[in-house]
Amino acid sequence: MALKKWLDKLTLLDLFDGLGVTGRHLFGKKVTIQYPEQKKIPSDRFRGMFRLDEERCIKCTLCAIECPINIIYIDWHNEKNEAGKGIKVLDRFDVDLKRCMFCQLCEEACPTVPKSIWLTTKTYEMASYDRNDSLYLDIRKLTDWQEAPNVKPFTVMEQG
Amino acid sequence: MTDEKLSQAERDEAAYFAERAAAAGVGRPLSQGDTPPAPGEPPTLFDVQEMELNFGPQHPSTHGVLRIVLKVDGEKILEAIPDVGFLHRGTEKLFETETYPMGIPHTDRMDYVAAATNNHAFCLTIEKLLDVEVPRRAQLVRVILDELQRLSSHLVWLGTSGIDLGAVTPFWYAFREREQILDFFEEYCGARLTLNCMRIGGLPFDLTTGWVERLLEFVDDLPARIDDYEQLLTDNRIWKRRTVGIGVLTAAECVEYGLTGPLIRASGIEWDLRRAQPYECYDELDFAVPTRQNGDTYDRYIVRVQEMRQSVRILRQCLDRLEPGEIRGKVPRVIKPPAEEIYASIESPKGELGFYCVSNGSNRPYRMHCRPPSFINLQALPKMAKGHLISDLVALIGTIDIVLGEVDR
Amino acid sequence: MKILTPTFLTYVKVLLIVAVVPAIVGFVIVLAERRIMGFMQVRLGPNRVGPKGTLQGLADLLKLVTKEDVTPARAEKFVHFLAPVLAVIPALTALAVIPMGPSIRLARHVSTPLWVADINIGLLFLLAITSIGVYGIILGGWASNNKYSMLGGLRSAAQLVSYEVPMGLSLVAVLLMTRSLSLVEIVMRQDRMQLWFVFPGLLSFFLYFVSGVAETNRNPFDLPEAESELVSGFNTEYSGVKFAFFFLGEYAAMIIISCVAVTVFFGGWLPPFGHVKALSFLHIVPPFLWFLAKVGFFIFCYIWFRSTFPRYRFDQLMALGWKWMIPLSLVNIVIVALAILWTPGRTDGLVRLGWLFGALFLLMFFLAKLRQALARRDRLASEPAGTRQSALKA
Repeated sequence: MALKKWLDKLTLLDLFDGLGVTGRHLFGKKVTIQYPEQKKIPSDRFRGMFRLDEERCIKCTLCAIECPINIIYIDWHNEKNEAGKGIKVLDRFDVDLKRCMFCQLCEEACPTVPKSIWLTTKTYEMASYDRNDSLYLDIRKLTDWQEAPNVKPFTVMEQG
Repeated sequence: MTDEKLSQAERDEAAYFAERAAAAGVGRPLSQGDTPPAPGEPPTLFDVQEMELNFGPQHPSTHGVLRIVLKVDGEKILEAIPDVGFLHRGTEKLFETETYPMGIPHTDRMDYVAAATNNHAFCLTIEKLLDVEVPRRAQLVRVILDELQRLSSHLVWLGTSGIDLGAVTPFWYAFREREQILDFFEEYCGARLTLNCMRIGGLPFDLTTGWVERLLEFVDDLPARIDDYEQLLTDNRIWKRRTVGIGVLTAAECVEYGLTGPLIRASGIEWDLRRAQPYECYDELDFAVPTRQNGDTYDRYIVRVQEMRQSVRILRQCLDRLEPGEIRGKVPRVIKPPAEEIYASIESPKGELGFYCVSNGSNRPYRMHCRPPSFINLQALPKMAKGHLISDLVALIGTIDIVLGEVDR
Repeated sequence: MKILTPTFLTYVKVLLIVAVVPAIVGFVIVLAERRIMGFMQVRLGPNRVGPKGTLQGLADLLKLVTKEDVTPARAEKFVHFLAPVLAVIPALTALAVIPMGPSIRLARHVSTPLWVADINIGLLFLLAITSIGVYGIILGGWASNNKYSMLGGLRSAAQLVSYEVPMGLSLVAVLLMTRSLSLVEIVMRQDRMQLWFVFPGLLSFFLYFVSGVAETNRNPFDLPEAESELVSGFNTEYSGVKFAFFFLGEYAAMIIISCVAVTVFFGGWLPPFGHVKALSFLHIVPPFLWFLAKVGFFIFCYIWFRSTFPRYRFDQLMALGWKWMIPLSLVNIVIVALAILWTPGRTDGLVRLGWLFGALFLLMFFLAKLRQALARRDRLASEPAGTRQSALKA
């Protein structure tokens, strides 16, 4: 037994084994994604950017209530439409995205079918030079990303 | 340089250091066998010369913002005092201000390399409070997520503790596999790190189509990858020299310190909450609890690697048992548990992770307390580090497997 | 062609060394290191600057040069400045005696050897001048007024002093075979003996290269800068050009260790087994390229080691040096001396020693392989049930 141990010690086999592993990987497949050229396409459930459908929204403010860090601000007032029916009109629907922790509780809280606010968009390129402006989403940015600087969507997942 | 050339500030500083040195007993032998030098006698070369070294909070291998105040003699550590709290965010207080479901995303931020287990422990506590039965499919999926998370957490541990000891390559291999695991999480719940993947009473979503098949493929692939890490490290003489006999904890000490997880199992105590007080469906699963006897860093390494292999086994069994079914138990929409106090805990990758909840019958907890394994395991660091070298301290921080988000909460 | 006088050519060669070696370090070795390490770590490494990342060295250099040069408050300013210079100059100086190839013809009647100087104490000069480099590290660590730097500097001092000894002793065994300290003569003798000294000096070579890795502070002996322990060790407080100098010093030292290994053990510019008729086509490749290729291989080994091994602990490193390397190198001297005395006046003894070493090495390798397979089986059997199956399946 002792002799075998000595053999191990003298022949440095353990070290050569390690060298073998790294040497094998030298020619193996590489897993790097070359980011700006190749992009990782997120899964369908990926929690990316917010999106709001103003028409579907019933102004119930459940999403704002459920938000653990209170970053959704909703104001609305009552109005009469042409038919004389009372409707709620949004004054303000802001999401302070820079504090958002993307927990998706707002989307889960939304009672409409399909959801009127949702996070499942395949957007993760949200870096910007001005966090206060571009990462503070007002209703215009929430409903139409193209206007928001630095925030470009890949695709919007179908709501169904 | 004469005194005249020094500015007042420099003189003050010099006086301060002289005072500190005198207070710390610089030059005075600290070990008992030595005779102290006569008063006024200059210290000799062989006296213990104490130096204070500030290790962290900005240091490459403190795994976050841990600060350790070291008293060293040369490189030998005389005393190591961890100083925690740099990442304190008051998570426990936050729980009190919010309803029960709103607390789950906050648990993600505690042990951020193992978010699923945090979610699980939190949900389990509230479920116990509400006395809710979790459907079987949800139980199985929870176990799958837990074990995936255990794998990913152990992979991060393997990589980072390898880097701490100078072996850079296992890190990349480990992270390659971890990325794949994160892909599974992303496909399941949409997030990679801060998962928020469990809900009180069950799960937010069902699995996507093809998830199980892809996971099976990955699980089949994984043992070979683990063999790769082992080939790089397990038998390597340098790795062995750096870990064998470093930071030895006896079983009695482990119990005294209240250590859990791989630390206590490496000291020969077969204590795993999955086995000792089974939750979800762990009691029907067939797996071993790896233990080792020596309680040193090498044994903790072996225990973790074997746990990874066991996780693979558990994953296979769970995937076999999956059947369609409900994923959410009968939970009221507004959660108002009875006014009770309850403690529930699970085996997180780092040890026993428990939540203690005091409810006053309203929709938010009166008090939530977390038992974080990292924080309690960190207590053993001064004991383990004493007498070792600075290089070993790095190995020891790695072997405890702390996440500062959980230590400081 | 009056201008091509030997003196002038020497100046040219000196200039080439001073200018070309830093360039090689910057552009080739650093890039190679990062790319190869990247490949070994299943990633790509830098490939953005220039085609396939070839200009990465330039980018790194620009970054370092344009960076602010910070001298810490209360540092010993002059020594802090002196240290990086001390790290580089000896390393570049040592290159002067490395023979990189035989004479080349530049014009009619003008030919010049590919070395700056062939001094009769070349090997001694090399050992002496390279050990000055450690002063750079010690002084840099001390002058930074930083505890981590100081620990790094002290580690370096102890490490270099310990590993100078086995390195010198392992070369003594070679000197017994060459009977000359001149590096050119060493190569010539390998040519005449038709034997690379690595074969009879297998043990010497092993000891030399391990000490060489330790001397250059590279993994697994990179304790002085051990980034996970001492932040960055002796160069923690260095930035900009001064840091670049330390960097250059380290890599130039790597080049020198590799060059000496090639010259002393691997026949310098000689093609492998050049005297064998069947392999005579190898002479087509210019000798200088043979030299470069061999040096490149050793640099590759450095990189390979770096990406594979963990780091020794300080006291273990010293134990390895004093308890293993030095006794082994002493034993090695005796073995080589006995082999020379075996056939006095002839080199047969050395050839036989070479065969002996080779056979022993192979034998031990296979025995250890067998032992390893047995150990693996034992380990799998001792592991908890179920673990075994998953491991065996792999």
